[in-house]
Amino acid sequence: MLGTRVLLAVLLSAALMAGDRYSPVGDHLRSWLTNGLAPVYWLGHTPSRVGGWLSTISTSREDLIEENAALQSRMLVLERRSQRYASLAAENNRLRELLSSSAALDDSVMVADIIGVTPDPFTHEVILDKGSRDGVRPGQAILDAGGLMGQVVHSSAFSSRVVLISDNSHAVPVEVNRSGARAVLLGTGDRNVLELAHVPDTMDIQEGDLLVSSGLGGRFPQGYPVATISSIEYNPGAPFARVRAQPMASLDSSRMVLVVFTPESRRLASPEDQRETSADASMEDN
Amino acid sequence: MVLRAVNYPLFLLTVLVALVASISLFPESWVMWRPQWLAMLVIYWVLRAPHRFGILTAWSLGLLLDVLNASMLGVHAMSLSLIAALVMTAHQRLQMYPLPQQCLVIFLFIGLGQMLVHFLHQLLGLPRGGFDYLFPAFTSALVWPVFLVLMDGTNRKLS
Repeated sequence: MLGTRVLLAVLLSAALMAGDRYSPVGDHLRSWLTNGLAPVYWLGHTPSRVGGWLSTISTSREDLIEENAALQSRMLVLERRSQRYASLAAENNRLRELLSSSAALDDSVMVADIIGVTPDPFTHEVILDKGSRDGVRPGQAILDAGGLMGQVVHSSAFSSRVVLISDNSHAVPVEVNRSGARAVLLGTGDRNVLELAHVPDTMDIQEGDLLVSSGLGGRFPQGYPVATISSIEYNPGAPFARVRAQPMASLDSSRMVLVVFTPESRRLASPEDQRETSADASMEDN
Repeated sequence: MVLRAVNYPLFLLTVLVALVASISLFPESWVMWRPQWLAMLVIYWVLRAPHRFGILTAWSLGLLLDVLNASMLGVHAMSLSLIAALVMTAHQRLQMYPLPQQCLVIFLFIGLGQMLVHFLHQLLGLPRGGFDYLFPAFTSALVWPVFLVLMDGTNRKLS
């Protein structure tokens, strides 16, 4: 009696695994269950929300004024930089026109909150509070203030799941900002260490070099900072150098992130005017 | 002790708390050591009311855990069903065991469940090494006495 029931449970689980792997049925079921579990995610996020609220109401007026002044000056610095950026982008587009190549369109972003971390300690994934209702689709890139964080792998109505670049199943096509040399950056399962795959000893690369996304895979938009090279080991016996890099984004402490809408993804999503009305208010062109 | 009447609202409440606790309320740098709250809950309810809760309950809760864990659907469902089946075969002996021995059995059961999850993940091609996956079984066994006293206390008060 017990044996049959166990056998049934095992067979059902195996069928589910196969379904999840080889057919879209698993995805539907997962979206459906994720929506049902929305209260659990909400409750799970409550402690940090209460903590944030407590620290907000316990901050003194002087501290707030000080912080405000610091932020004002920082904004001034950034705005000066973005003024130059606007003219540079325009100039760049004019030059591209001269070369009769297509103009580089700007991406737009949406701010999202990280409301949870996947409990499995072996995977590096976080949950965002924006889902397909806000236009978030699998494949979109996620940034924080420092640089590229990861990409959306699954979106349900109210939340979406993001795999971080440090997950050991993740890879980003990058190029060295200084020399333009291309490579693939792999996650290692350690939040502070990424590894550059298949780097020949002769490649033009140095410690401290900035790696930016190359946009070659078609998945990540081009030109966002990803990591800096932290160490290079040349071993004459090995076919490739061992290059480690440190991610620019603070993968374990960011609370607010940006979801990137590239011009292509905006065009793909535009037939559904639902997003246009609900998300345009919170979207801004950068 | 076997519960004669099961307090279903309490059961649902404990499930909710266990689900929340398995994604939150634990320092992030120690997350390797987070006890398997849902597995402990399944063991508790199957142990206390083996005529009411069994494989089906464990399987459904495991499916929810799969969604929360973002693992392949069915992995934790299979593991929790296995744990429930083990408890069902052993519940009469388990009731009689002194507490330290019970903790040891909890470690074994949850460890077996974790091993199954680990094995399935390796089978599905997710590279991960070491014996780290047994840490949660260890902490679960450590907190089991407290968990048992708390659950029994609320059950007694509410019945």
